[in-house]
Amino acid sequence: MGSFITNLILASIRMASPLIFLSLAELYSQRAGLVNIGIEGIAAIGSLTGFMVSLISGNPLLGVLAGALAGILVNMIFAYATITLCAEQIVYGMAINIFAPALAAFAYRVYFGSGSELVQANLMVTLKGLLGIKSDNFLVNLFLDQTPMVYFAYILVIVTAIYFRRTKSGLNYKAVGEYPKAAATIGINVIGVKYLSCVICGALAGIGGAYLTTCYSKTYVDGNVAGRGFIALAAVIFGRWSSGGVLIACLFFGFCDALQIRLQLINNTLPYQFFQMIPYVATIVVLALIGAKKAGPKASGQPYRKEER
Amino acid sequence: MKKKIVAMIAAGAMIASMVPAMTAHADGHTVAMICDSSISDGGWGMACYNAMIDAAEKCGWETMYSDSIAQSAYYDTIVSYCDLGVDMIYAPGNQYTDAVLQAAEEYPDIAFALLNGGADTPEKAANGNVSSLLPNAQQIGWIAGALAGLMTESGTIAFIGGMELDTTLAKYAGYGEAAAFVAEENGKSVTLLDPVYSGDFSASDKGLEFAKAMMDQGADVFFGDASAVDSGARQAIDEANEAAGEIKIYDIAQPADLLGQNDCVIGSQVTDNSVLIELSMKAVEDGSFGGETLYGTLQNGVLSAGELNKDIVPEDVQAAYADYIQQMVDGTFMGGVETEAE
Repeated sequence: MGSFITNLILASIRMASPLIFLSLAELYSQRAGLVNIGIEGIAAIGSLTGFMVSLISGNPLLGVLAGALAGILVNMIFAYATITLCAEQIVYGMAINIFAPALAAFAYRVYFGSGSELVQANLMVTLKGLLGIKSDNFLVNLFLDQTPMVYFAYILVIVTAIYFRRTKSGLNYKAVGEYPKAAATIGINVIGVKYLSCVICGALAGIGGAYLTTCYSKTYVDGNVAGRGFIALAAVIFGRWSSGGVLIACLFFGFCDALQIRLQLINNTLPYQFFQMIPYVATIVVLALIGAKKAGPKASGQPYRKEER
Repeated sequence: MKKKIVAMIAAGAMIASMVPAMTAHADGHTVAMICDSSISDGGWGMACYNAMIDAAEKCGWETMYSDSIAQSAYYDTIVSYCDLGVDMIYAPGNQYTDAVLQAAEEYPDIAFALLNGGADTPEKAANGNVSSLLPNAQQIGWIAGALAGLMTESGTIAFIGGMELDTTLAKYAGYGEAAAFVAEENGKSVTLLDPVYSGDFSASDKGLEFAKAMMDQGADVFFGDASAVDSGARQAIDEANEAAGEIKIYDIAQPADLLGQNDCVIGSQVTDNSVLIELSMKAVEDGSFGGETLYGTLQNGVLSAGELNKDIVPEDVQAAYADYIQQMVDGTFMGGVETEAE
């Protein structure tokens, strides 16, 4: 029982890590009033770019950086359409979700041809590996058997919390998502902040995707983001639009996913589909309980037109 | 105005992207494959695609394919190829049965070759234009199970599935019964863990997590039927072996010979589907296609055991395994149990 729980905790951390990046991406976007449901698509591009750059350069860190850059580039489509053209955010987010994974699949075919060989890239080394530690102790595995990207994710959660709560710049950023016209009257560059949010969102979503192919799995497979972009949307609402809340939500979703895998193994009476439902049923239940009281940015999803009264 | 320009550019790009597909039909025969996993998954998708290419080269056919398609797009993708006028649709998986039967009813002049379709599926086709290509799933399980029974040291073996398909269940059952039989003959006992399913064939991360969870339960030989999910499992096994400093946990690959792809692969169960596809192509050419089930077995050479990893599998085990495979071919394995295709 002890090893079941400790391994469950380790698996939860592994499965939550990419979600943290994607959820923070959505948090930064929504805090500036942009509901970006295209995280799934941006992560798909980040995943492929990270994989290809890591494979070519042999350096997973470069892959992560390239994933971030690719995420920014793709998200600029969303930014231009929704900020400059004031287009509907949900529609363009959906368009990104359709366009970006298809672009990733196309790029993969162009680069690797229609060959059927399995291509595998090197993964980022964990701290435990870097330090040459051989111990299999639970605490060693929990705190040291993680790639630098996992530590970066948790540091990012803390930095985000401080930024939004303790800095003037962070408060200005939040003001754009709450009441952009009022923010503009006190001299905040609303359009600039919204574009900045898209850069941050694209970078983090790209990193979240690249994490999958540089820190988690050695291979790239179309569809490997596997709905994590949508779980990230739920995590932001579950987390009440705060970075701490988002972290708890991601750990919860990671735990549910890890749990369903282990429950399949120890139960032979219920159909496996029942266990696969757990993360999604948990999402619905949690959103039903949490979502009743709105706590999100007031101008979320609304276009900002300078001239409009 | 800006919006109109953006919309026009987008529409132009969409039309431009469709042109190659609309003009891809060749003058000769054409086969189109649909697949929900990637053709570069290092497993099922790869083997099925290569089988189509091999058969097409022999018969002089053109090929087309769509991979990594969602379940909701099975039918639409098949119909798109039918509208392009292909001669044969090749659907490698039991999960395409409903989509194939529906499309076959609407396109009576097109041949539909359903790999791993049910033995009774051709009878269900209203126009008699569906054939099942059916590698013997029980024998597939036997080929892997015999090796697992010989190689397991912990006495616990594992199986990872993509979806709970009839063929997957048959492979699981064959794997378990062969492992138990062989282990018992060699003075061991084997426990086969309950099958687990990832729910799709692309989630390599799920394969990784399943393998870690099963290794925690003591599994030391793995077999799977889950395409890219199996690749994830092999990654987890390699990582565990690396941490242990020796290769003590093994994987048996399928359906191609994947020896060398990962350190943990000790052997493969090989299915040469190209033989069955080639038979289907020839049937299309001479107008006799449809309404039958083409079985693939050890006896007709469609199924075989791949090369063993000689660095890991001891010589006496290699010899014993070869003997068991010969028994399967001769029909004397496990006292001459009849398999589903006999």
